[in-house]
Amino acid sequence: MALGGEEEGGGGGELRRALDALRDEIRARLPLASVAGESGGAGPDWMELFDELRRRVSSLGMSERSGEVDEFGMDELVLRQAEPLLDFLMDRWWRVDVQGAKNVPPAGGCLLVANGSGLLPYDGLMISHALGRGQPLDARPRFLVADWLITLPFVQPYLARVGGVRACRENAQRLLARGRRVVAFPEGVKGAAKVFRERYRLKRFGRGGVVRVAIESGTPLVPVAVVGAEEAHPILFKIETVARIVGLPFIPVTPTFPALGPFGLVPLPSKWSVHFGQAIALDYLGSEAADDELLVSRLTEELRAQIQTMVEQALHERRSVWG
Amino acid sequence: MNTPARIAITGLGTWIGARLAERLLAHKAGLSVIGVDIRRPYRLEGRIRFHRVDLTDPTADGRLAEILERERVEAFVHAAFRREPTPDLDYDHELETLGSLHVLHACAAAKVRRFVLASSTMLYGPWPDNPNFLTEQHPLRGHPDAHSVRNRVEVEALLAGWATRHPDCEVTVLRPCWIMGPSYWDHVVRMFARPVVATLLGYDPLLQFVHEEDCLRAFEAATLARHPGVFNLVGRGVLPLSTVIALAGKRSLPLPVPLFYRMLHYPAQGQTGDPPAGFYDYLRYLWVADGERGWNAFGEPLYTTREAWISFVSSRRLRRYR
Repeated sequence: MALGGEEEGGGGGELRRALDALRDEIRARLPLASVAGESGGAGPDWMELFDELRRRVSSLGMSERSGEVDEFGMDELVLRQAEPLLDFLMDRWWRVDVQGAKNVPPAGGCLLVANGSGLLPYDGLMISHALGRGQPLDARPRFLVADWLITLPFVQPYLARVGGVRACRENAQRLLARGRRVVAFPEGVKGAAKVFRERYRLKRFGRGGVVRVAIESGTPLVPVAVVGAEEAHPILFKIETVARIVGLPFIPVTPTFPALGPFGLVPLPSKWSVHFGQAIALDYLGSEAADDELLVSRLTEELRAQIQTMVEQALHERRSVWG
Repeated sequence: MNTPARIAITGLGTWIGARLAERLLAHKAGLSVIGVDIRRPYRLEGRIRFHRVDLTDPTADGRLAEILERERVEAFVHAAFRREPTPDLDYDHELETLGSLHVLHACAAAKVRRFVLASSTMLYGPWPDNPNFLTEQHPLRGHPDAHSVRNRVEVEALLAGWATRHPDCEVTVLRPCWIMGPSYWDHVVRMFARPVVATLLGYDPLLQFVHEEDCLRAFEAATLARHPGVFNLVGRGVLPLSTVIALAGKRSLPLPVPLFYRMLHYPAQGQTGDPPAGFYDYLRYLWVADGERGWNAFGEPLYTTREAWISFVSSRRLRRYR
């Protein structure tokens, strides 16, 4: 299934080039330009100043975006520019140890289910980067992001461009139907809001949405355990009253945030490891099994228990938080 | 029912009504078009059979039914909706909601066989919890501040109830997204036609457009052939708002949300033709619709979102700079 963005290719590009040429010609012929050239007038200066201000305010480092996005808003150019940063985070900062990547089916859609942690979706980014590195854009897994985060001002344009998608059934199904790999964190906000002493204890998996989506779309589930992410932003406690006003579910208090201001948002360099478990095929069930609530809830609980076991095993294996 | 020979259209003053009437008149089957509106459409003078009906009149349903019966109308296209949000909310409600009720009563009485409603994907409403692609089954949630949208959500609910009571009438609902093209003009187009486009600081939602040609083609097909059901009419592909503005060579003026809503309140009250502040949620959250069903029914669109936008931009530039 071809994407909208790809299909536009030739025709749109040609039109755009023609349009650019037209615009340049018009600019060259406009009397305004000649007036400005003679007097060095104030008019164009104001425009430039305005342009500059606007660019500073609105793009915040995204001035190089290509404007060509796929149907979920992923931008190839932004992603390619972010690649060195993602590589740095993966290899140097968190030194992510990826195990069992061959368990992920190489082709076709699959639903990767991971334990969530932290307010910012670093774990989703890292899983997506671990599998999608050096591969074409289409093969890059998309990670699902809670809706309050993906509609947050300033965060929204970036997350969509690097491959974040709002977590909901319709989106997951659409992506899986197109043969994409999707990373889901079924604990939701509860998982993100875990305080430090609850770390690595998986919360309830919502109402079994992941399992239902996997059954309906006939795609396999891959359990994923992420260890180390909980220490990158250890939440000591949460402030909920102020958060209501700002529109966040809670404001985390970490050892560095908000004490160090914006620098507190820099995650700690804990040692990470990502374990991909054996894929669980559910297609033998048939799509009508998605309505069997008892079955769905049993499978969900089994999945949760399996990821919990994987997490505990990984915790047992690691020597230290920073090692 | 095959191609209807006699088609009635309300709202000839609207872009869709007028253009659709012209297209149907140009059709080779020699259709007769009956126009129902409050004002005489001068462009169509002499070519259509015009009847002056004020839909806000309490007796409009009886009068309209009489006309439809006399003209033996087979298909009815309802497009009598304001395309500009106005501060006159009472009149809007009278015309759009109650006017549509009158139209439905009249169609039932005259046993019209096909009914086409001009709706909009704006009716889904911009909500933070919308999925990336809204299908036709998604509930119409509208927007609490956008009154014209609220009226039209009511109209769709009325029509859905009416359709179950009148199963012998083929009901088609067409929901185009924002229409772009050389001749289309409404408050959305006006907003984008300004040199500086106000946007919301920190938001860059994905938008989609449909070209006027694709939109009209679908309306014509739905009027002339059997296409019961609800269809989104959208172009393929999506564009971020920032790209839309950049492609047009315009400037965006990003404003912080609270300031923005307060500022925008006054021009709308002052009848400058600006949409009400709540409208700008459409530049904040996603409300992109899934066009698969429409593409399957009415064929592959001629223009993608990007091409529709460029078609609009290039036509407008030529007009302004020549």
